[in-house]
Amino acid sequence: MKTWFSLLFAALFIAYVPPARALATSVSPAEWSLYKAHFLDRGGRIIDNGNGGISHTEGQGYGLLLSYLAGNRADFELIWSFTSAEMLLRNDGLAVWKWDPASKPHVTDVNNATDGDLLIAYALALAGTTWNRPDYIAAATRMATAVLKDAVVVYGGRTLLMPASTGFSAKDRADGPVINPSYWIFEAFPVMNVLAPSEKWQNLTDSGLDLLQSLQFGPARLPAEWVSLKRSPQPAAGFAPEFSYNAIRIPLYLARAGLGDAAFLRHLMGAMAPVDRPMATVNLITGQPLDPLVDNGYRIVTSLLDCVVNGTQVPAELQSFRPELYYPSTLQLLALSFLREEHPACL
Amino acid sequence: MSLKPAHRYWPVVFVSLCVLGAGTSYAASSSQGGDTEPSLVPVERQGRLRLAKEAMGVTTGPRLAQVPEAPAAAPQSAPAPAGRVQRDPPPTATPAPAQASVPPSQPTTNAAAPEPDLSALRYFASRGDTARLKVEIARLRSLYPDWSPPDDPLAIPRNGDPQLEAMWKLYAEGRYPEIRQAIAERQAADPNWTPPADLLNRLAMAEARSRLVNASNLKQYATVISLGASNPNLLNCSDVDVLWRIAEAFVRTDRPQRGVDAYSYILRQCENPQERVATIQKAAELLPATDLRALLSLEKPLADGQPEFAALRDDLARRFIADANKNNRMDVAPEDVQRLEAVAERDKLASDSLQLGWLFQRRGDLVNAEKWFRASRDKEPSASASQGLALVLIARGLPMEAEDIMYQWRDTSDDSKATYLAAAANLLALNPAPVLAEPVLRRIAVEVIAAKYVPAAQQLGWYAQTLRQPQTAMQWFETALQWKPDDEPSAYGLLIVRQSLNDRAGVLAIQKEWAGRSQRIADAGEKSPPQTPPLAVQTPRQEATKPAPLSFTAPDRGAPVAAPQRMTATTTARTATARRSACASRTGTASQRVEDTTLTNGWCLMDLNRPLEAVQAFEAALKSPSAAIREDAAYGQSLAYLRLGLTDNAAVAATKAPQRPARAAELQVSILGNRALSAFQAGRYREALVYLDQRAALKTETTDLMVLRAYAYQELGISAGARQIFEVLAETGNKDALRGVEEIRSMMNDRGG
Repeated sequence: MKTWFSLLFAALFIAYVPPARALATSVSPAEWSLYKAHFLDRGGRIIDNGNGGISHTEGQGYGLLLSYLAGNRADFELIWSFTSAEMLLRNDGLAVWKWDPASKPHVTDVNNATDGDLLIAYALALAGTTWNRPDYIAAATRMATAVLKDAVVVYGGRTLLMPASTGFSAKDRADGPVINPSYWIFEAFPVMNVLAPSEKWQNLTDSGLDLLQSLQFGPARLPAEWVSLKRSPQPAAGFAPEFSYNAIRIPLYLARAGLGDAAFLRHLMGAMAPVDRPMATVNLITGQPLDPLVDNGYRIVTSLLDCVVNGTQVPAELQSFRPELYYPSTLQLLALSFLREEHPACL
Repeated sequence: MSLKPAHRYWPVVFVSLCVLGAGTSYAASSSQGGDTEPSLVPVERQGRLRLAKEAMGVTTGPRLAQVPEAPAAAPQSAPAPAGRVQRDPPPTATPAPAQASVPPSQPTTNAAAPEPDLSALRYFASRGDTARLKVEIARLRSLYPDWSPPDDPLAIPRNGDPQLEAMWKLYAEGRYPEIRQAIAERQAADPNWTPPADLLNRLAMAEARSRLVNASNLKQYATVISLGASNPNLLNCSDVDVLWRIAEAFVRTDRPQRGVDAYSYILRQCENPQERVATIQKAAELLPATDLRALLSLEKPLADGQPEFAALRDDLARRFIADANKNNRMDVAPEDVQRLEAVAERDKLASDSLQLGWLFQRRGDLVNAEKWFRASRDKEPSASASQGLALVLIARGLPMEAEDIMYQWRDTSDDSKATYLAAAANLLALNPAPVLAEPVLRRIAVEVIAAKYVPAAQQLGWYAQTLRQPQTAMQWFETALQWKPDDEPSAYGLLIVRQSLNDRAGVLAIQKEWAGRSQRIADAGEKSPPQTPPLAVQTPRQEATKPAPLSFTAPDRGAPVAAPQRMTATTTARTATARRSACASRTGTASQRVEDTTLTNGWCLMDLNRPLEAVQAFEAALKSPSAAIREDAAYGQSLAYLRLGLTDNAAVAATKAPQRPARAAELQVSILGNRALSAFQAGRYREALVYLDQRAALKTETTDLMVLRAYAYQELGISAGARQIFEVLAETGNKDALRGVEEIRSMMNDRGG
């Protein structure tokens, strides 16, 4: 058992975890304290204050990842203990996706959300490796195996990440399979492959990159949040055909994983923040802007692309962390952490 | 200014808890160390139950928990950090509650007596938490046999560690994630500090318990079992709720025996009287009677010598019998019947009497069934008790009271309506024909017409014919034929009436229409028809001008059949004699027993296709002391009822005497086929399919029943199933099937546009 773990640590260290990230301080204690004060309940759940104060596996995964990046083992323990006892309950080893403080029981839907599962497993793998915690690695391995078994499918020759184990497949929906391209957490796939080796992880990376290139809907040429792959990719039925809050993190995930060629990243940057209007969510049919995206956490995404592609400095105001809403605040810390590790010159 | 991303979309599919909660199954894993299996039998020490973590030993016996075969699941479930806690034995050993092993905090060699950690004890004492204090003292005594609890736990010197105190406080409040946080914070501040092993062990257990309870509430039974398997310390008498949840998880994942093992473990080992009683109650919700009886055998006397489950027994007997009735099972223990009878005598609950009534009715014990149905009705009239009583009365040959009783309940359910109509048909079929008051006849006619109930319409026809009202009889037979054009007995009835009216053209018309379909219709006229009343020809012609059948409902015209003033005992008796003479004259000698004669007569009447009279003949034969004759009579009567379309009566008749297996099966096959047909005709397609399935289990489905099945599928919207059957049959050239295929095809086309 012990030998196995040592080998695994070695593999994770050597192959996939950059030493800088392993040192785990790319989120400052001050930033983490602020984040925590706003979004971490004392019992260990991350509160999505933009969605009625509910918690979900995405939030728990982000909380684990950020506390790891801040080097805060105690808070990592807190969040993980809650996540495990309250959400990691499904027979298949995946987590129930939503926990609502206002409902009794707190969990009313046993479906999972695959990006949440991936984030949790990913954060556990990183923390387990850095902090020498075989129990984290073991839990991460179980989740990686379950994601592979339940949520990774091959359809029409393409390897897909299903958004959940139920409800999105070709069997479940007339326009299925339906995917959410922002659930492709590219940086996690190589780590998952160490935990639960399978060629499907690399295939997911390849298919994800390939898909993203093709998801350029309407005049704005931007990806939709939910995409039907029954035939050629289309915005899925029953969802607003928009580039919106889900998809905004796609370039962040690409950059953090070191993926996407300069031309494609440049295209995304131009499409998300055209010179003639402020950044906004977009109606993909008309190309018209909807909600303006003014939070630092949204604007830093295009600024980060600008840095990666052009070496442009990130404005100081986007570097200052003044959390209000859970989601953009999370994106901002992930972006800052990445810039500090990979592009300190832009700061 | 920031916009709330409140309308980010979350996975929108709500997965039903029930759907995901069920259906996961696991193969049994082989335990380490060959065929040894952990036992559910714990070892007791110092007269108290041991915690499971110290009660783990390898003996043989049933396993409670097992490791799922899914590779992602149990084996690595290790919530406690390795390196800081002594690990439990490898989970692959399939730990069970009573598997003996060494507790993590108990020294294996007893050289120097170890010091118990009293911090939790002190903490609970300081909070005045006596319940937890008691549990903790018990726990420590089982861990440290030589230790005696202090008289005043509050006098234990403070351990001088306020941070640890704070952690115990969190523990007492169930805030486990925060203990994890506090431990890590302290270790970060003081790398030399090590948390007490006792705290870590208890924390890991508490976390696993909370996860297990959450998973159990969400019906994630595989997770429940996996957690139980990897945390054997959880499975002990100090936390019976966890054992209940494990038991439930096994039962609900199709491993009832494991569930029984878990409940048995509690009843063998755990002492809390309320929990023991609750264990039986919980098991009763999940397990069948046989399993429950095994658990009840583990009953112990209470301090006052009373059996501890005494108060439950009445309820259980009630439940067993109600379950048996509901599922049409016969395996009811005699002691449960006696118990419920005693309870029913004592408490006089209509519901208890009703269950007893149905039990006896299903057993064919008409005397007791009648007694209890009547008791139930006396206490509280109900549709069910009335229906039960009506069925008994019909079976006893007393349909007049049955009709009277069921009339007011006829509209309460489909079953009630069917029972009422059966009572009416049986009443009309009585031989000799009964004297019926006009209102009774009228209400029967109204109900028969409203329900378009062919068998009773036919009986009304025979009844009228018996009373020498051929015009009325003709109208009823014609009505029956309108409702069911291929009803041969009605056609035959009509033919007999026309013969009696010397309507040769009418007779020929029927014979022509039924050519090749009914031998007796074809043969009619070659010999004197036995049903023709001798005086029929004298029926006045003017009756032919009387109104059509549906006018029966019109009150001002009076009942068509009735004319009670013309009906006398003499005429009915004479008619009856006339009807029967054809057979009776051919059979029997003075030396034969009466019952033998009536049996032969019954078969004779069956040959003449006079099943109504055959029913009576067989009924008389059923009184024979000879088992062989009774068997034949019951068989014959059941066949007669089947021919009359009175399926329920056929079923009852079949139970009047034990049948040899081949006959019982034959009757069962016929009864199920008829029931399927009736259910289908009544629009109860699902029920029809159930009967068809039951029949198919006994005998290969005939082509006509396959067609019926296909139509039932189609009515239920299961077009694929219907189509499959039609297509198979269509290949054999079956016309109904060809038509079915065509209908489905055109339906599909319509839908497809």
